[in-house]
Amino acid sequence: MSVKVEQFPFPFTEDRYAYSNNSSLLKPARSITITDHYLKEIQLKRELLQANHKRCFRSLPISLESQWEAMRRIFAELAQSESEHFSLEKRGNEYRFQNHLLGEEERFTYRDSSSIELQPLDIAGRHVQEDLIIMGDRHDGLFLEAGQLCFPSNWSLTFVLGMEFKSIHTPVPGIDQNDFISKVERFISRIRLNEAWERKNWSMTISNMLDTPLETYANWGKLRLKVTDKNVGEMVHLRVEVQRLLRLPMTNDILFSIHTYLLSLNDLIQNDLWLKRLYTTIQFLSDDIAEYKGIALYKNELIQFLEKTLNEKGLSL
Amino acid sequence: MDDFYEVKVRKVEQLTADIKRYTFISERTELPSFGAGSHITLHLPMGNRQYSLINNPLDMENEYVIAVKKIGQQEGGSSYLHEKINEGDVVKVSPPHNYFPLRLEAKHHVFFAAGIGITPFLSMMAYLKSLGESFELHYAPSSEDDCPFYNEMNEMYPNQIIYYFMARDSKKKKLKETLKNLKVGAHIYTCGPQSFMDFIVDYCRELGYPKKYIHEERFKPAKVIENPQPFEVTIENKKKKVLVQEDQSLLDALHKAEIPLAFACRRGICGTCEVKVCNGEVLHNDAFLTDDEKRDKMLACVSRGIDHISIAVD
Ligand code: HEM
Ligand code: FES
Repeated sequence: MSVKVEQFPFPFTEDRYAYSNNSSLLKPARSITITDHYLKEIQLKRELLQANHKRCFRSLPISLESQWEAMRRIFAELAQSESEHFSLEKRGNEYRFQNHLLGEEERFTYRDSSSIELQPLDIAGRHVQEDLIIMGDRHDGLFLEAGQLCFPSNWSLTFVLGMEFKSIHTPVPGIDQNDFISKVERFISRIRLNEAWERKNWSMTISNMLDTPLETYANWGKLRLKVTDKNVGEMVHLRVEVQRLLRLPMTNDILFSIHTYLLSLNDLIQNDLWLKRLYTTIQFLSDDIAEYKGIALYKNELIQFLEKTLNEKGLSL
Repeated sequence: MDDFYEVKVRKVEQLTADIKRYTFISERTELPSFGAGSHITLHLPMGNRQYSLINNPLDMENEYVIAVKKIGQQEGGSSYLHEKINEGDVVKVSPPHNYFPLRLEAKHHVFFAAGIGITPFLSMMAYLKSLGESFELHYAPSSEDDCPFYNEMNEMYPNQIIYYFMARDSKKKKLKETLKNLKVGAHIYTCGPQSFMDFIVDYCRELGYPKKYIHEERFKPAKVIENPQPFEVTIENKKKKVLVQEDQSLLDALHKAEIPLAFACRRGICGTCEVKVCNGEVLHNDAFLTDDEKRDKMLACVSRGIDHISIAVD
């Protein structure tokens, strides 16, 4: 589902792309953003959870405390930042969360598993567009201990459950050059209680499909071979993940939220600066990253399309 | 800079001859929640002082509770609190941080406290009890008369506390006995005077206990460079020289001189703005580099040179 241009978080601030710690402190600390696509995306999420629950939700027992904390935190944040659409009432340990957009409510007794039917993170995730991951901050590293993941960009929750941060990142080419990913991990370990940091990650998706897990690669991966100079603008979408890292104060674990946005190239090229930046970024993209992001298969068509558009608009770089 | 909150002293209780408990509340804002082992920073006329929070994080209802022992000189922070701060007064506090978190993956938690070093364990024990996790406390109070929370603790944790009211030598012997009998999978936490923590940590090392299972509370003074001075920097691999003004960071000065250097956090926690130090003395002001790395690296967003340094950038 592609988003309206005004709500699209364009990721490139420079003309060259290399892996870097592009995180910035977010004040006030937030994990969630509601966009115009709320209803459609929530519906899609619920369908995916219904059809493939194990693929989309996984947890280890140790994550339960953090899941409770994350759920309460997310509901409180929604009630505070989107008060016309959500509310949260508390009486002692009894909570009532109301979602006016969906006409639903969730009641629970804090930390009482008998008061809920699904795990807390699985409940919270059904009210937000973000994918939600809990990274446990353990004495020997950061471990992926729970997740509700409906819109992954070619990765598998089943595969990474219980994995350590650095191991999760091993498929990424060159990610440990100059100790990069170890330094990122050290950075995360320094994030203070209640603080949120935001970064953007990007890739490209053929079609406007949000749900591109590794498990269904056979269905959507082959679309990369179908890109032609005629359909590039329509088929190829820039995929941006706005990722937020929040230190949960009570358990000291990290809530990692991922909000995925898609924008077709036809929509993107309406913005001259975006067009120029995307062009130079793709042009100078290293081969291994182009390969990793799946762009290599249609890179020529892509470059030609962007060059042609630049020419038609009379833009120089 | 950190945000801060103005909190009101709701209650002051004298616990022992020189220990008082303070309860702070906010009538205006919601105070951020915290985890067991966290501390807050009080902004006092003599500077900032850190105190562990002692309330159960799960029961906290917009209040922070600390316990303070009056120590040392008249001008100290603890004397000021004891003598000048009363119910109804307003104090400035920075939000809680946690350098001493519980490791919830532990099979069992073993606490070693001496004197007023008991404070972080009060929030930890209350929290673990709510969670139903197993723990034990080994407590060496200053003396039998100076044992705060004695009755409260005995009531709440009747079978989990061992007191060490005894002469120094027998105390050490008994602590060693305890440490020798620890089971695999237990995490050890210690807080108290430096000599006490050193004793615990050194003996654990001697026993070969895994380093990552031993945790000490070390209050690091909040790092600020008082009175920043200008300094000169030679960038060796660019054959350039820049002057960093007193109100400028090295990162800003480099950017102004059009020497690109990547950055992200601008507060010394991400390591992105690292540069190589070739020569000169550096005032490190970050929470990222290890001592080893500090020998020839610095973070340009927060650390400063003294007089003249030379560096290399990528
Ligand atoms: C703490 C939560 C995080 C989790 C759970 C996570 C997880 C992942 C996963 C699953 C992938 C895809 C790996 C694959 O292809 O199999 C990935 C890619 C990547 N991650 Fe992370 N990550 C986290 C935080 C970060 C942070 C904070 C940074 C950098 C500051 C980062 C940098 C990257 C980069 C550069 C890639 C490659 C993406 C691309 O080129 O498309 N990650 N991450
Ligand atoms: S920019 Fe993060 S350490 Fe300097």
